[in-house]
Amino acid sequence: MIAVARDIFWRLIPANPILLRIIAMAGKRRRDMVIRCAYLGLLCVWVVMWLLTLAGKSDLGELAKASATIFQSISYVQLLLVALLAPVFTSGAITQEGDAQTYDILMATPLSNAQIVLGSLLSRVYFIIALLLSGVPVFAITQIFGGVGQDNILYSFGIAAGTAFLTGAIAMALATFRIGTRRTIFGFYLFIVMYMVGLVLLDRLPMLQVTGGAVAAAADSHISWLTGLNPFLALQATFGRAEYTPPLMSDLPEALRYWPVSWYLTSPHTFYITCTFALGMALTVPSVIFLRSAAQSSVTVRQWLLLKLRLVRSVTVRKPRTVWHNPIAWREAKTKASAARMTWLRYGLLAAGLAGAIWTLVRFSTVATPAQYINRDAFNTDLRLVTILSNDRAPVYKYTAGLTIQLDDKPVRIERLTGRYGVKDYSVDPRDKQSINTLKLFTMPRGLSLADAQKYLLMLLLLEMAVVAIVITNVAASTVTREKEDGSIDLLLSSPITSRYYLWGKLRGLLALALPLNLVPIASIFVFVVYDIYRWITEGGEFQWVVFPEAIILAPLILMVLTALGGVVGMQLSLRCRRTVTAVMVSVGITVGVVGLMALFGMAVLDSHSFSNIPLVVASFSPASVIWMLAAPLSTNNRIFLEGDADAIVQARVAIFIGSLIATAVYAAVIWAVYKTMLKNFDMTIRRQAR
Amino acid sequence: MAAVIKTINLTKRYGSLVALSNLNLEIQEGDCFGFIGPNGAGKTTTIKILATLLQPTWGEARICDMVVGFQSRQIRPLIGYVPDSFGAYEDMVVQEYLEFFAAAYGIHGLHRTKIVNDVMELTDMGHKRDALVDALSRGMKQRLSIARVLVHDPKVLLLDEPAGNLDPRARIEMRELLKELRRMGKTILISSHILPELADLCNTVGIIEQGELLYSGPVAEILARARTGRVLHVSVSSNTQLAMTLLAADPKIVTVTPHDGFIKIGVNEEVEDASFVAELLVKNGFRLTMLKEEEVNLETAFMRLTKGIVQ
Repeated sequence: MIAVARDIFWRLIPANPILLRIIAMAGKRRRDMVIRCAYLGLLCVWVVMWLLTLAGKSDLGELAKASATIFQSISYVQLLLVALLAPVFTSGAITQEGDAQTYDILMATPLSNAQIVLGSLLSRVYFIIALLLSGVPVFAITQIFGGVGQDNILYSFGIAAGTAFLTGAIAMALATFRIGTRRTIFGFYLFIVMYMVGLVLLDRLPMLQVTGGAVAAAADSHISWLTGLNPFLALQATFGRAEYTPPLMSDLPEALRYWPVSWYLTSPHTFYITCTFALGMALTVPSVIFLRSAAQSSVTVRQWLLLKLRLVRSVTVRKPRTVWHNPIAWREAKTKASAARMTWLRYGLLAAGLAGAIWTLVRFSTVATPAQYINRDAFNTDLRLVTILSNDRAPVYKYTAGLTIQLDDKPVRIERLTGRYGVKDYSVDPRDKQSINTLKLFTMPRGLSLADAQKYLLMLLLLEMAVVAIVITNVAASTVTREKEDGSIDLLLSSPITSRYYLWGKLRGLLALALPLNLVPIASIFVFVVYDIYRWITEGGEFQWVVFPEAIILAPLILMVLTALGGVVGMQLSLRCRRTVTAVMVSVGITVGVVGLMALFGMAVLDSHSFSNIPLVVASFSPASVIWMLAAPLSTNNRIFLEGDADAIVQARVAIFIGSLIATAVYAAVIWAVYKTMLKNFDMTIRRQAR
Repeated sequence: MAAVIKTINLTKRYGSLVALSNLNLEIQEGDCFGFIGPNGAGKTTTIKILATLLQPTWGEARICDMVVGFQSRQIRPLIGYVPDSFGAYEDMVVQEYLEFFAAAYGIHGLHRTKIVNDVMELTDMGHKRDALVDALSRGMKQRLSIARVLVHDPKVLLLDEPAGNLDPRARIEMRELLKELRRMGKTILISSHILPELADLCNTVGIIEQGELLYSGPVAEILARARTGRVLHVSVSSNTQLAMTLLAADPKIVTVTPHDGFIKIGVNEEVEDASFVAELLVKNGFRLTMLKEEEVNLETAFMRLTKGIVQ
């Protein structure tokens, strides 16, 4: 019995022919060796640089502290690398086997389902694991000076390995159940990156912080409910920093002291490691069970779901739609943009974006009414009476010209009090109990402060802009290469369609796809501007906009520029590259790189100590910076917004407006030039690649 | 009669690889020209140049007296190109697919609907109108490819392996469809590896190897050219060995070999009338059970003219 079990296990992994082939080949591949050496070299250089900064220091405590810092930075580098590389190496599984039909050959062999699935899975994560293992000696160096425990190293490796394993298992499940196609690869990659980045950003939301009991008081920790779900947050929890230390069981409120919540909160890193491996295994089991039956099925899981949900009547027949006058535009807009994934993306983004904006607006507009307050009608200036309002009574007091009124501890005149304010305190004239001498008011707290509302809205807008730019670039980058790959471009090129007609059709199709996506951030801004105008009319006084109203004009321009930029970069690469993967990776890299660098440049310019409007005009050339200035001007650290008076701020807004218009014109000219170049070189570029 | 397709010293190089070398070809209006050659001989390259998809390195290709490369825009409405692979079109049904290409050829409105309906009827695709293109069988996809090139009623059809990978029934149906198109007066250039079909369909053929045209002309002519002397198959009721000895002694007979139960006789090339063989055997008391001349088909001609060199 034991011998049989051992034999099965032996065949499953150590003697698995699929895994052995990859391992045998990997050792010989120069590219893999170069990547491993480069990674190891990078880690070594990193450590040596840190060690050099320690030269001459003899305090053991300081050395241990420095060592811990090195370890933490290397751990982040390692995890970042795994997070970026794991989807790249494992996503190939989604289509590669299907494309090459090697799966069919494998399934015709006596290899068991488990051997095929585990062999494919482990061979895909092998490179990542080998990369991780090559870094072990460097991690060992950090132990010399103390400050880093063995458990820390184990957790760091565990988190990275768990992430790689789970990513691979998801890719394998997608491949087994034929959910993925060639295009799924990018969506898969985007989903993983968005998950990693999104959860780290959401982690900062106060509402997600673990509170109650003695948690906050005990450690002043900002650990959140998301910590155990994200590798970067889980890794951060292992470093023992005061600001991100998991609470002890005794610190937790009584209501949370039950398993597995207590485990999740007190040890998010072990929870993450355990869950990623368990989830990876859980995804692998159905793949093993259904591998052959799924392959034999004539209907994919997606088709089966569509049929069951009665979203389609048949997976092979459908009523024809009317083809437009420009067939290229029709194909882009209808057969690609209306494909299920794009529909989901459009409506998903629309729903999530608007839900986020409305939630922020509702939180911002919710005002908690204090026990005592006044409103704009509380003062009767003719009779010199003031009414202090409360839930159960409304005492009326007389006041004289000598009445001192403070709003948020600053003196204010009655005429400026146009909204509702909480009454902090007031003093009655000791000689006349019906008169008041001083009235201390405070701005009534909102569910979300103005600064927080601006930050959330900004985060939302930047995220939506990033998604729109990446999606459009991706679609544009694959639009011609896919036709080259499947040969359908030859059919069009042998027709009388001209390059102008072809490219214009493509751009029109992209526009049809981009418009609904761009409506999301515009709608988010619109609801805030409408609410701001309402506040401005009703409140008046020293009014502060959540988002400057000119954003409603500038945002569509900026988004149009961003979309067009992503579109032409993607199409240019799509024309020049033979393979979709290359075109998508390069063009997304260029778009993200250019927009990201310009955002950094814009922020650096805005952060200058100048009181001039020129930095604002310069920063207007960066789409992200314009949105930043319009939605959260205070967080730009620009002196005008921080210290300037109302007139200076108005001038700054005019400068931003003019700067954005100039930038839009410049970008439009650049995009037009690229488009004309594409037109001019279209035939030459395409025919040079023809074989 | 004017040549609809003409190439003059057509040459195409991919780096150091010569795909086509001084190809001179002439196809007359209404001809069905079979383009034969081993893999990598240059058939697809020639078709792609004629379909305005490739530029020749040297030489000239003309369609309806217009030069490919210089007058490609005028040539494209005149040609219908079917590649060797079916371009994948995701999420399109048959009618959309045909309307898509009709629109690409500038056919719009009700006229487009009528043409698409007519083409579907001609190619017997009407019952597949709502079927997703991806879900069609290989034979149906090829049929759809032919339907696609008919929507704009081209004068010239350039078909690259249209019957490749088809089952026998689909191949026969495809052949009948092409015959019908020929009857409609289309000039067809078709490349294929299935030589018996080409012999049945085409009136002219061209044999190409290593980018060089070895032969171009009527099918009957190539068969005659491939024939090296006459070969007769003879069978007698008994004493086959004796009959062979008798035949071998005749000076007009070059070779006598036994072959699968009958005698294979090579007759001198100068002999026009082979009836002397029957006469000789009957006179010597043999009962003749079979006498027929060995046929030279396109396959034989192809094998004799090419060397089997693949690039």
